[in-house]
Amino acid sequence: MKSLFTIREGGAANWTLRVITMVAIVGLMLYIPTKWEAGTLNTAIEGLTYMSAAMALNLVLGYTGQISIGHSAFLGIGAYTTGIMVSRWGFSPWVTFPVAFGIAFVIGVLISFPAARIKGVYLALVTLALGLVFPQLATWKKLAWITGGGSGLPIACPATGVSRSCEGTEVPTTGFNIGPKSKGQMQTFEIFGWNPFGDLRRPDNKAAFYYWIALVVAIIVYLACRGVVKSRVGRSLIAIRDNETAAAVMGVNLVRTKAFVFGLSAGLCALPGCVTAIKTGGVSPEGIINMTVRGAITFLIVMVIGGAGSLAGPVIGGALYVFVVDKTGTWADDDKIPGVLRPFFAWSEIPPGDGIFAVLLILLMFVAPRGIAGLWKQYIHRIVRVIPRPAGAIGATPAMATATATPTSNHEGEPQ
Amino acid sequence: MDFSLLLQRVIDGISQGSVYALIALGLVIIYRGTGHLNFAQGEMALFATYCVYQFGEWGIPVWIALFMGMGVGFVVGAVSEVTLIRPISKKSPFAVFIVTLGLFTFLNWLDGAIWGNQQLPNSGVGSKQQSFPDLFPADPEDQFNFLGASIRYERIGILLLVLVITGLLFLLFNKTKFGLAMRAVASNTESAKLAGIRTNLVLMVSWGLAAAIGAVGGVVMGGLNNSVGLGLMFSIFIYGSAAATLGGFDSPGGAVVGGLAIGLIENLSSGYAQKWIGQELKLAVALAIIVAVLLVKPSGLFGTEKVERV
Repeated sequence: MKSLFTIREGGAANWTLRVITMVAIVGLMLYIPTKWEAGTLNTAIEGLTYMSAAMALNLVLGYTGQISIGHSAFLGIGAYTTGIMVSRWGFSPWVTFPVAFGIAFVIGVLISFPAARIKGVYLALVTLALGLVFPQLATWKKLAWITGGGSGLPIACPATGVSRSCEGTEVPTTGFNIGPKSKGQMQTFEIFGWNPFGDLRRPDNKAAFYYWIALVVAIIVYLACRGVVKSRVGRSLIAIRDNETAAAVMGVNLVRTKAFVFGLSAGLCALPGCVTAIKTGGVSPEGIINMTVRGAITFLIVMVIGGAGSLAGPVIGGALYVFVVDKTGTWADDDKIPGVLRPFFAWSEIPPGDGIFAVLLILLMFVAPRGIAGLWKQYIHRIVRVIPRPAGAIGATPAMATATATPTSNHEGEPQ
Repeated sequence: MDFSLLLQRVIDGISQGSVYALIALGLVIIYRGTGHLNFAQGEMALFATYCVYQFGEWGIPVWIALFMGMGVGFVVGAVSEVTLIRPISKKSPFAVFIVTLGLFTFLNWLDGAIWGNQQLPNSGVGSKQQSFPDLFPADPEDQFNFLGASIRYERIGILLLVLVITGLLFLLFNKTKFGLAMRAVASNTESAKLAGIRTNLVLMVSWGLAAAIGAVGGVVMGGLNNSVGLGLMFSIFIYGSAAATLGGFDSPGGAVVGGLAIGLIENLSSGYAQKWIGQELKLAVALAIIVAVLLVKPSGLFGTEKVERV
């Protein structure tokens, strides 16, 4: 099929497109918090959480082909790490990010050893069981001395039995300790004397603060995934996915590679968990639904709908998921459904978000198994074709990896 | 050691395990036919269970409602196979996995959309039933004493029901022409097709049958819990899968033995290690069994070894 424009990778046109894409993405990132409205920002934070978790899952599932329905457990590990360190031991929330990454990394590596011998849907079964067991483990009474048991963190006030409502005493939360100065709590967040967020006791400002944390985490996760995928390790991951035996024959160390990718994926998935713990100020499986198996299924849906095995996929999927779920969230009440759509959804007792995505997931598997990102790559060629730099040129990355994952083709109007 | 307590726990464990055996049987029937693990098995059963509850609400006697529910389950399973699984299985096992997962999410949402996300029956206005329809007498006094253990009729009834179903399935597999066709498809689909067996029909019926059997499991579980909710089948599915893994994914007899064994292990471990395992970590036992079996003997106790070709 002939495309309208043909441009050369690294040429002026190519760079223009890259710059336009970057400007558009950065512009959107900056535009969202300027609304300064807590509701929108909380939705955006949720979206960034799904994006980060789905990107982490993508490493294991999209690139290496190891099915996991248990990534909610890793998110939960991150949330509990932050919760325990902050509310029990008084660490700053910032410190908990690398610690959570480390803990989840080690656990991911440990899980990879049995996982390396369990294949395909059996691995899915094991990880599903793991995802179901995690909330039970977290609320297990033997671990209540550290996890707070069923009521979660922070531990309930001994006087009232209610979290965070002890009068007069200082009660820790699992996030930033925001409150009046008289009690020594923080009011503003200053970067070298610059106070970008204002008074954090206002909900809108607080939401903006958390939005930036979530955004930075999502960017770090993206860059980490991108770094791995475009490296030698990334190519060996794809080799494992496409044919494990062949990859082993070609010299890929299966055990070590899988251990690394499981560990990294788990560690990265823990980071949005830390953000969630900071944002909600409390950690329990009931409070953070993303650490139950429903969360794991959502990550998987987000990833597959966006595009498994593509860097942009989870980002697209996460944005779409949160947009639709947010728009349809109130549709359990029939009067809130826009007129035209009312006959289709009025019968439903609960918001139709999950149903819509389940149908979309099944449909996409038939028409576009590589998700929206795959669909985009398939049709963008009709408009713009980017000719990859010839392999072996100085400073060039191998052609295949560049051609499959350049952000270049991401911006040039709508297809047709 | 208290003997009557042991007996009590063994009987409770076996009847609990028979529910897992039903789910495991469904998984095995589908696995034998198509080689897929049906992640929506539990949710298909849940949908049928909700239907049985609804039929009960309309005043239909529970046993008739059960058969209607099995019918609903059969239709859901068969339609899923024909419209979704069959076309997608040409693509890749991963696509099949995603579609069953999509089906899982969709059915769970559908249950919530129709019946709401509260536990049913709730004691609100308009609900005719105070409890989920019971297949067997389940009032507190419906029990008898045997060697010091109080045994509920319900538990015995469930066990008998599962044994009857297993027996009927055994007859179907081994004594009928259709069972022969099913075994032929399981052993080699291509050859079966060449021998003139209508493999498509066999697969469709297999999925329907699996979902119908699952429906019985769901109704029994609803009766034991006295309610039905959206999360009812999550853990049951894991126990069922553990049973199928233990018994071997291609062995119906193994599924039943595995199910009973898992029920026993679950009840005994949570009973005798109350401080450590108790009610909260029962699921971890199932996880441990799955992992152990997959690592030590992936074909399970009664399954056939799988040879991998490159």
